[in-house]
Amino acid sequence: MSTTRLQEVLICFGKGKQVDISTAQAAAAMWRFTKLNASLINPKLATENDADEYGKGHEFPTVTYKTAWDVGCTLEKYLSAEIGTWAICFALGKVVKSGGPNFVYTCNPLIPANGDAAELPYLSYVEQIRPGGGVVIDRQGVGMAVESFQISVGSGPGRANSKISVELVGSGKVIDTATGITMPAATAEKLLPSASLVLSINGVNYVSNKNIVSLETGWKNNIRMDSGFFPGSGFQTAGDGSTGAIRGRLEFGNRQGNLRFVARFMNGSDEYTKLKAQTTGTADLTLSYDTNNSLQLTWQKVAFSVVEIAETDQILTVAVDCVPLYDSSNGILTAVGKTTVDNICQ
Amino acid sequence: MKDKVWMKPPFGVGDPKEVEATPDVLTPLMVAGWSQCDPPAHNEEVKTDVHD
Repeated sequence: MSTTRLQEVLICFGKGKQVDISTAQAAAAMWRFTKLNASLINPKLATENDADEYGKGHEFPTVTYKTAWDVGCTLEKYLSAEIGTWAICFALGKVVKSGGPNFVYTCNPLIPANGDAAELPYLSYVEQIRPGGGVVIDRQGVGMAVESFQISVGSGPGRANSKISVELVGSGKVIDTATGITMPAATAEKLLPSASLVLSINGVNYVSNKNIVSLETGWKNNIRMDSGFFPGSGFQTAGDGSTGAIRGRLEFGNRQGNLRFVARFMNGSDEYTKLKAQTTGTADLTLSYDTNNSLQLTWQKVAFSVVEIAETDQILTVAVDCVPLYDSSNGILTAVGKTTVDNICQ
Repeated sequence: MKDKVWMKPPFGVGDPKEVEATPDVLTPLMVAGWSQCDPPAHNEEVKTDVHD
């Protein structure tokens, strides 16, 4: 009997969005990627029992009950125009698609006070190992949403210096055998290398100054997982109350953006001055493959919250934490993904 | 020529409008609750009794 190596795992997930939280996507709406990490969606069943009930004559449980299901995973990848665009669309939720065949996806966070939904777009996520006759795993998480994404850019020529991590959480609904999904062909990705970075923060162009060392930026939705279970939220098997509850909604909570960077510290570096003055400005970063494949994030207004002078490889550097602020006209974050792929989050 | 998209106002109140699909134009609209929509159907009134 052969062992199964985790490198065999195949994943595909929704390029488009589900029609609702509980309707699984078909293969035609999915795309397939490779990934860097071993995380699997691993459905988790929470159970309870009758140990505390009176009338049994003892304190021991005699029966268990399926309470609820949970599904989630983290996806780590080298940053590409395709996965970057997908992440900003599903994480921020408000998308305007333009152009074609070179598509531009302009994304902003949803603002419920202005009539937007509090739920993010949903997608399905499929894992398969040896699908077909010798199947080891074939399962599909339904009603998944992007909880967060984090982009990291470092110094160096390798792919590892431009990565993205995407955390997915789910309704709990899962098809755990025979998904019927035929894995699509692997997506040809256009990588966005560190060397393509264009970066301006609070009035300073850190790339033309040749002093950026690294940066991280991301978004977290803090999805209200517990409130997904409400009276009538549904069961793993529709209409069967013994199969465990699933969530009927995934609403974002108090969302947070983050941006931190390390730059060389030299004569004229004014990060500490800006910290003391709480100077605000935009932070704009772009990573590109070419003119039609790129990812741009614009934090509309940031102030510095931490400025620490340290060293990187014995070069004096400054590490800066930024607080993204909400601008009354432009909001907090605009993210623009350019790719030749149509129908992302549509 | 710059791409254009149709946007509908928040809460469905008001008429859609066509705007340039640039971040500078779209961002304030999206923040204010405007969202993308299909182009409106042509509702031109057809009169059969119009004389030249």
